[in-house]
Amino acid sequence: MPRLLQRYTLHGLMLLPLCVYLVVFTGLPLLSCVVVSFTDAASHAFPSWNNYLALVSLGQFSPALRNTLWLTSVGVSLEILCGLGVALILQHVVWGRAVVRTIILTPLGVPTIVAGVMFTYLFGSTGYINAFLQRLGVIDIPLDWLGGDWHSLGVLLGAELWKVTPMVTLIMLAGLESIPASALEAAAVDGASGWRRFWYITLPLLRPSLTMAVVLRAIDAFRIFELPLLLTGKSLPVLGTLAYSEYYEYDNPFTSAAAASLLLGMIALCLGGYLLVMARRQEGLS
Amino acid sequence: MRRMHRVLWWYGWSVLVVLFTFFPVYLMVKISLSSPTEVLTPHPFLGLPAMTGEHWRTLLTSGTLWPPLGKSFAVACWTMLGAVGLATPAAYVLARLPPTWKYGLLLGLFASRMVPEVGIALPIAVRFLSWGLVDTQVGLVLAHLIKVLPLVTWVLVGTFETIPVEVEEAAQVDGCHRLAVLTRVVFPLAAPGVAVAALFAWLESWNEFTYALYLSLTENTLPLQTYYYVTRGNWFDAATYATLLTVPVMIVTASLQRYLKAGYLTGAVQG
Repeated sequence: MPRLLQRYTLHGLMLLPLCVYLVVFTGLPLLSCVVVSFTDAASHAFPSWNNYLALVSLGQFSPALRNTLWLTSVGVSLEILCGLGVALILQHVVWGRAVVRTIILTPLGVPTIVAGVMFTYLFGSTGYINAFLQRLGVIDIPLDWLGGDWHSLGVLLGAELWKVTPMVTLIMLAGLESIPASALEAAAVDGASGWRRFWYITLPLLRPSLTMAVVLRAIDAFRIFELPLLLTGKSLPVLGTLAYSEYYEYDNPFTSAAAASLLLGMIALCLGGYLLVMARRQEGLS
Repeated sequence: MRRMHRVLWWYGWSVLVVLFTFFPVYLMVKISLSSPTEVLTPHPFLGLPAMTGEHWRTLLTSGTLWPPLGKSFAVACWTMLGAVGLATPAAYVLARLPPTWKYGLLLGLFASRMVPEVGIALPIAVRFLSWGLVDTQVGLVLAHLIKVLPLVTWVLVGTFETIPVEVEEAAQVDGCHRLAVLTRVVFPLAAPGVAVAALFAWLESWNEFTYALYLSLTENTLPLQTYYYVTRGNWFDAATYATLLTVPVMIVTASLQRYLKAGYLTGAVQG
């Protein structure tokens, strides 16, 4: 028994610092963020919905919520499509694959803030896209790409796509590699065309990777912060930048906490739904 | 003939994707090397006709570079050391726990990476203000560890799982003390994995923007300095700073390419 105790003491001591750190610097701050969001700013009464009411009444709120949801839904669908496409391209490129792979994965090695800088060169009002379109004669005066309407959502989506597709590609590549070649060969022997093989074998077998990619990307997409802050600023708010500007510019931690808690709730819903679906599927299998 | 078509189809697409990926990077480096008359015109030029080192010279001599560079570098190094020091022993224990415990705790770690940073950064910033940790390296290291620890632990658990328990048992049979088994057998065997995890930690901290934004008032890090020049509309300074920020990341990422597994990156990349 003392031996056993000794064994677990050592393990406990090794695990403890990490756990303490996560509780003190992740768990407690999150909790305090949620608590603050339900505390009235003036009377410090708890619980109170006033911060959320104040948040909703902000002019920036409904565009921020709409943009966040739009970027998440459309963005994630496009990212998954492109990621899968690029993974398939990589699978079919034999000669020079290593080089193509290295270049295609470069955005992984580009800090997000730098990706934002690159897209200001392309889409700034004196940027390269405007110059190109003017030279083609499509437009006469430079377009204000980052001014805040649907153009800006498109640019933001493009930047996000550029930065994030390689990660989805990696997930898809791992999924594609796990598909047994024999299944595809058998289908080919039976006369299935390339398209049908993809539709009836590759895609169903890829489903776990697809689900994982969708959930991971959706969670990240809700948190989008750096790109909108840098590219569009106030003209195209998302929930993340709204929470930032409420705290940093208006010095109002209460509404900021409310916006952040809202974001947290959306992410928790997304993650919880995924875990529930996975649990149910496992039950169905056993 | 059909085969030929198919090959052309895939290679055509790969060229397009490569161009789409490469073009923005090229543009940034090109702008950092171009003279203003070439870029700031209605018809900016795409090639590299007359390269100039002017912006790089101003960058190196202006005095606005070294403090942020030093801060970013020091914070990244301390974060790396702190993350490895805290995560290595914990990851070893996690890897040796019974599966239910292990997956439960790993799920918790994973969830802590999914949390919106604006939500954690806010209470941290408020608290650090009262503790006098804003604008200090210690404060930023503490904040970066929040983001880096789960990732590093995640990678290291994978490493320790590949080391068979039998190795430890053999060492113990040979008369090795429990602690000595760890320090003389297990950790040396895990060293390559620890090195990879350490590099990931360094990179994450070097790139980190959100916590730095909340926790810096006057002393910028390199990403903040880049952001500052972008908001001032200074294309050339932004280009040199952004390039400088990217170079170490690209070198390390390229050399780590075979370790870039999907699982490591979950949540490591975000908009």
